[in-house]
Amino acid sequence: MLGLALGGRDYARSSYQSQVGWVQDQPVPFSHKHHVGDEGIDCRYCHTSVEDSEHAGLPPTHTCMTCHSQLWTGAKVLEPVRQSLLTGRPIRWQRVAQLPDYVQFNHSIHVNRGVACIECHGRIDQMPLTWRARPFQMQFCLDCHRDPAPHLRPRQWVTRMAPPDWSEAQKRAYGERVMQAHRIDPKTLDNCEICHR
Amino acid sequence: MSNPGDLAGLHALTGKRFWRALDDLIDQPGFRARIGAAFPALATGAGDWRRRDILKCLGGAIALAGLDGCERQPDEEAMPFVEQPEGAEPGIARFYATAVEMDGVAQPVIGKTREGRPIKLEGNGDHPASLGATNAFTQAALLDLYDPARSGAPLFQGQPTSWSRVDTALAELRSRLDGQAGAGFHLITGPVGSPTLRRQIASLLDRWPQARWHVHAPVGDPTVSNERLHLDRAHVTVSFDADLLGPGPHQIWHATQWGARRRAFQTGRGGAALFVAEPSPTMTGVTATRRLVASGTRMRALVEALATDLGVRAAPPIRLSSLERAWVGEAAAALRRNPGRGLVVAGPEQPRDVHELTRAIDRHLGNLSATRSHFAPPSGPRPQDMAALAAAIRRGEARSLFLLDINPFHSAPDLKPLLARLPLRIHAGLHVDESAATAHWHLPMPHLLESWSDGRAADGSALLVQPLVRPWLDVRSRHALLERLMGGERGDRAIVRETWPAILEDEAWTQALVSGTIPDSQPVAAAPQSARTQQAREDKAAEGLSLLVRPDPTIWDGRYASNPWLQELPKPLTKITWGNAVHISPALARERGLASGDMVRLSVGDRSVAGPVWIVPGQERRTLLVHLGHGRQRGGPVAQGTGFDAYPLVGAKGEVRIDRIDGREEVATTQHHFAMKGDEFIRFVDTLADALPPGPPRANFFSAQKSSPGWGMAIDLDLCIGCNACVVACVAENNIPMVGKEQVAKGREMHWLRVDRYYEGPPDDPRHAFQPVPCMHCEDAPCEMGCPVNAAVHSPDGLNLQVYNRCIGTRTCSAYCPYKVRRFNWFDLTAKDPPELRAARNPEVSVRGRGVMEKCTYCIQRISAARITAKKEDRPIRDGEVATACQAACPTQAIVFGDIFDGKSAVSRRKASGRDYDLLPETNTRPRTSYQARIRSGEEEA
Repeated sequence: MLGLALGGRDYARSSYQSQVGWVQDQPVPFSHKHHVGDEGIDCRYCHTSVEDSEHAGLPPTHTCMTCHSQLWTGAKVLEPVRQSLLTGRPIRWQRVAQLPDYVQFNHSIHVNRGVACIECHGRIDQMPLTWRARPFQMQFCLDCHRDPAPHLRPRQWVTRMAPPDWSEAQKRAYGERVMQAHRIDPKTLDNCEICHR
Repeated sequence: MSNPGDLAGLHALTGKRFWRALDDLIDQPGFRARIGAAFPALATGAGDWRRRDILKCLGGAIALAGLDGCERQPDEEAMPFVEQPEGAEPGIARFYATAVEMDGVAQPVIGKTREGRPIKLEGNGDHPASLGATNAFTQAALLDLYDPARSGAPLFQGQPTSWSRVDTALAELRSRLDGQAGAGFHLITGPVGSPTLRRQIASLLDRWPQARWHVHAPVGDPTVSNERLHLDRAHVTVSFDADLLGPGPHQIWHATQWGARRRAFQTGRGGAALFVAEPSPTMTGVTATRRLVASGTRMRALVEALATDLGVRAAPPIRLSSLERAWVGEAAAALRRNPGRGLVVAGPEQPRDVHELTRAIDRHLGNLSATRSHFAPPSGPRPQDMAALAAAIRRGEARSLFLLDINPFHSAPDLKPLLARLPLRIHAGLHVDESAATAHWHLPMPHLLESWSDGRAADGSALLVQPLVRPWLDVRSRHALLERLMGGERGDRAIVRETWPAILEDEAWTQALVSGTIPDSQPVAAAPQSARTQQAREDKAAEGLSLLVRPDPTIWDGRYASNPWLQELPKPLTKITWGNAVHISPALARERGLASGDMVRLSVGDRSVAGPVWIVPGQERRTLLVHLGHGRQRGGPVAQGTGFDAYPLVGAKGEVRIDRIDGREEVATTQHHFAMKGDEFIRFVDTLADALPPGPPRANFFSAQKSSPGWGMAIDLDLCIGCNACVVACVAENNIPMVGKEQVAKGREMHWLRVDRYYEGPPDDPRHAFQPVPCMHCEDAPCEMGCPVNAAVHSPDGLNLQVYNRCIGTRTCSAYCPYKVRRFNWFDLTAKDPPELRAARNPEVSVRGRGVMEKCTYCIQRISAARITAKKEDRPIRDGEVATACQAACPTQAIVFGDIFDGKSAVSRRKASGRDYDLLPETNTRPRTSYQARIRSGEEEA
């Protein structure tokens, strides 16, 4: 029974379980690497509600077609996008970043406090296909909630992919200043009700 | 349950001051043992488990618990918009001003939608007829919208058909009516408040002058009353069996004003005395500062005596009992002390001359223009009553019938055989109900929350009704149906806009939609008119029984029977759910040897119904009462099979008899559930100046918590009228599942907030009090100490919370809770919900699974939302920024919530009152919810 319990623990932390690095079959092989890395499109161009809403938002087909009505108009991989606009039926993406139903996560407050996109979603600019960069398990959330200082950066750099060119000490010093200014108290950040309600 | 022998013991009170039920008062040993367990269900079904077996299973469960949560997350699809409408950002709630309707009176609301789905209704704070408040019916209207039993396709003789066939049939009808000037066509509606609907009916009657319009109001006023009472201006109100604060279309209007008056009284600005004479306890009677138990047939004598006392009429003295004499004397003195600030009203069951006399008293005292106002009746055609329809059918003149959102095949059983003779019957409504089932055509209608319409609110002003969501069923609104009948093709919005030329400009129209009011739409004031016509009531012999037939306080005339939130809502006074009963007085029970739950046959003349009796303390000795709306034959699985149908007794004449028949029926009542151990749950002070005596100092080795903010709640029992608006608001906000009659009877209802009702004094005429009990959010919470997995936790801002994903369901916390506010999911109550009900859920609150404990959270999701908004703006949360669902719904503002460590906050001002007390102080739990004692008096000492 002990073996079962220990094995269970390893299993719970495995990438099979956490789905870190796993790629989902998508209707369109969308490449963040191309759009973000090569073209330099800002996250918020597509994920428009990330600053105001709990959801970052997936782009409507219309957003894809603002460019793709001009570029790659005949590309076969984009056929589902064109079909979507034609038929009015949504593209059915497979979710990559997904939380359990009993977790309430709010994008807007994280972004507004300077938690960069890459903190949870990783270097999305280097992903030809999108995978989960971090295990979205409670331990991952708590690590940051208990010690947010090194994960904060200036508000206007939030969607920047490259980490700031700061030493660990500089990161921490900056984060601590932010926490003081906004009265962020890590003692209250790991309360259950912050996420579970 | 008590048996007749024990009832004799009622006179010898056992010294207990407050009691919830008669059994409680007698204090039978067996009864105490049964309620000793917080959940009566535990007494049965526990089985023969041996301790060792339990430990074995427990060991296995613990070993396997580590694997819990190892299930890999299932794949999920995400489907973005193809074209995102402006403002439709996912995750951001949108709010629209609209209204729901009850008996032709629009109840102004703000509808909250998330991702296009309406999820909550709040009162419209900008509208004078709501001031942000709602009642139970208005809160529950949301679930009606999502009712899976709603009808979604037109039917012809019970078989699905298409709207194009309906249109063909309507065209045939139209050409026939055009040829005969409408002869033989009868339109039946409920009370009509919507100006657009009135306009359409007027143009229909213009086109077909021989057609007839009838209003069928199974309960209440068919004309939508043109009189408005202003309780906020009445320092003394005398009610002769008028349930002003009770359920009904004007409840919010009356209750908000009563709350305002009573709050003014509390701050020393005039009196708030309420004198009520009534045969059966109502919410108004329970709230009264002076209640008199008197038969309905005594009302005339009492009004006449009051009039004589005040010199309104010179008449020989009226014979009154000493109790009656004292009550009339006090009422007269109070009215005399407050000329121009009094109000005398009679109930809807009283005849016209009694109403006239109350008005004469008000005129004499100069109250008439101060505490009542009158409007000119709406212009246009006047409807006929149902008697005129019956006569036309008997004469053979009627040929076709159009039933618009009305169900006379349930609510007018006398008319059924007559109506069934007509060769063409068209029914339009939300459900395939009794009338739809017998009609030739059934046309499904949308809920008002998915239609364009308009209405008149309780203050008489008009407002627009806009849809919160597009109808997902194949339905047509009332306006579209009448438009089609007359050959038009326009949509609802165009029809409604035509009614309002004054706001034709787009800007004015948008402004009216945003604010939920139409400017300058108050009807013209008019001189007081003669009272509403009432059927004269013959005074029955004093020794005979008299019967009151009234709408149900939760499902009204039966139209809300399909709504589980209302079916499972405990009725304010009896706490009965999922059914009705024959209410009798303790004295009659003693005389006839009846106990609650015994089956009786109740007959009036040659009509009779059978149902269980229920003993109601405070009911007049010879009075019986039954509620309408139950015993539905059609209308969906929730509506059917609850209680008995009392409509056959409406209008019946003859001797009232009650005879015991074999059998008993279990009545699902919550009055014993979650009983606390102790005494003095309810406290009173005599006058405004009085304060409660300070409690003894209590040693506590935990230091007191202090934080900013520190959340707390104050509930003023002096303002609570027991209306249950808070309970339904909590259900809607927090995704609370309904469990059904069987489980309620076992004490497994899930309401996070319950309203306890206590009696004090003798059963024949006790004093009543209501007490809403949410979680107390104790600073030193016993439940938290009991949890073996730390699922009951305390937040630094003073909330006592349950972590659902941690809970393993030992129920220890519930056993430890002295206030009995924790609710356990005995079953998976939500997994089988149809998609409609899933859509109704609030996405900000987790849906709980089986085996999980849950409880009031002080609406943590609202606190979190306010905290995030405040943090983004780098400021503290403002006082009043967080309103819990119960607080927002309360029409009398009895509930206040906020930061108790901010000395200026509304809640800390309330708690500073001398009337503030904690529930069960002996448990030393430092509860964050506290109560303010009820004040017995209604006038300051002169």
